[in-house]
Amino acid sequence: MKKTIQIPLGSQHISLLEPIRFKFECENEKIIGVDADVGFVHRGVELACTRSFEFKQVGYVVARVCGLCAITHSLSYTLAVEKLLGYEANDRIKYLRMLMVELDRIHSHMLCLAHTAENAGFEALFMQIMGDRELIMDVQEAISGNRVQFDYISIGGVNRDMTPELTALIHKNLRLLSDKIDALIGLFDNNWSLSLKYKGVGVLSLKDAYTYNALGPLARAAGLATDVRAETNDFPYETLGYQMILESSGDIHARNFVRLREIVNSMEICRNIIDNLPVGEIQEKAKGKPNGEAVVRVEAPRGELFYLVRGNGQNMLERVRIKTPTFSAIPAMMEVFKGSEYADAPAILASFDPCMSCTAK
Amino acid sequence: MFRSMLEAFLNLFRPIRTHRYPAEEITLPTGYRGLIEYGKEACIFCDKCEKVCPPGAILFYQHEDGDKEYRYNPWLCIYCGECVRACPKPQEALWQSETKQHSAVKEEGVNEGWFVWEAACKESREEYARAKKAGKIQNKSEE
Repeated sequence: MKKTIQIPLGSQHISLLEPIRFKFECENEKIIGVDADVGFVHRGVELACTRSFEFKQVGYVVARVCGLCAITHSLSYTLAVEKLLGYEANDRIKYLRMLMVELDRIHSHMLCLAHTAENAGFEALFMQIMGDRELIMDVQEAISGNRVQFDYISIGGVNRDMTPELTALIHKNLRLLSDKIDALIGLFDNNWSLSLKYKGVGVLSLKDAYTYNALGPLARAAGLATDVRAETNDFPYETLGYQMILESSGDIHARNFVRLREIVNSMEICRNIIDNLPVGEIQEKAKGKPNGEAVVRVEAPRGELFYLVRGNGQNMLERVRIKTPTFSAIPAMMEVFKGSEYADAPAILASFDPCMSCTAK
Repeated sequence: MFRSMLEAFLNLFRPIRTHRYPAEEITLPTGYRGLIEYGKEACIFCDKCEKVCPPGAILFYQHEDGDKEYRYNPWLCIYCGECVRACPKPQEALWQSETKQHSAVKEEGVNEGWFVWEAACKESREEYARAKKAGKIQNKSEE
């Protein structure tokens, strides 16, 4: 007689934000095998970039890959094209771009924390974190003029400049948020019922993280020191107070903590950027047409985002390849599911911060 | 537990975070990226905005007498402002306002109407080019 039962999770499920299907092979409550299908929201962005849009327009197309990390997508594409055009942005442009990416990281991490709380059964905490997240969303809206689709970065610079009112708003909101993050750190660390759901659950060991190529907060929670911000020198992160955040236990609690501490670090970076903003033009001419091949890596909120752009000196690009961090995290996620309780599956899933529209593109 | 109950009690007197959206208007921040607006008098019909527009929300219809007509689809527009940056006469011919476009309703025929217009614009151009070419040939043969 067969000892195991199959439980499907998805493609539509109360704990899922986006369509993904898991097929869990369970033995009583333990998950012993898992099968995932992630291609429900495939939109053919890569092909559209090479067939329907010219290279100057593609920056706005790739921003639509994902609503949360829109800015990182357009930034990576823009950097790749600028490499091909042989153009290097001045310091002011770099700083403004960095500011948006760091703000993006803060609100993306807060969203993930909120969903981890919700999927572990803490609706009120979800509401509270999402409410606090509005502070950052307001700042981003004021800077870029739109709440979700920022369209802030274009080839050769950024589209809007910083004003004194914006600087004051950013300082005010970061100060307000700072207290709330401190309270959250206390809550996630000391609350007894949260620790039941998080501590020792969904452990990804350092060896597994290495084998399954985990990246971003996921890998750093397991103690694997990987961060594109420290590895590349496209942006002056080191001078602006960047720190590598590492935890060692690799469970959901560690992932939450990496995210919380990264929020604190990102707020520090944002303040430094605002205080030390260099003078300069915000939009420069980048002439020519992309010819050749360029590879760019940028640290998105969820890990390393990889772009390959190949052009042949014409308006249409030959190839745009996007490798998103969420896609790369799936093997590690499947490994973590094995051996854990079925009831923990939603919380584990949320702690990996999955984004299906990124994954399937 | 007592602290959480106290918090829950105090929450009764704290300000509400959400908006009563349809009942109350949402205040847009200054510098909100809104509708693209057009001034016909200043336009020189260089078609630059049409070429750079990522979704193709700006089209020019070619009349037979050589005039061009501007047409803009606010529901297709992504409000990136690329057309305004490409415009040789920004603020006079093309500018970005802070007004928000209302949601489309069925009567406006957003999809079908625009597809018809798109096809008509393309056809008008081709016809105009053909007529121009034919005219040139005729002129040459007369010479």
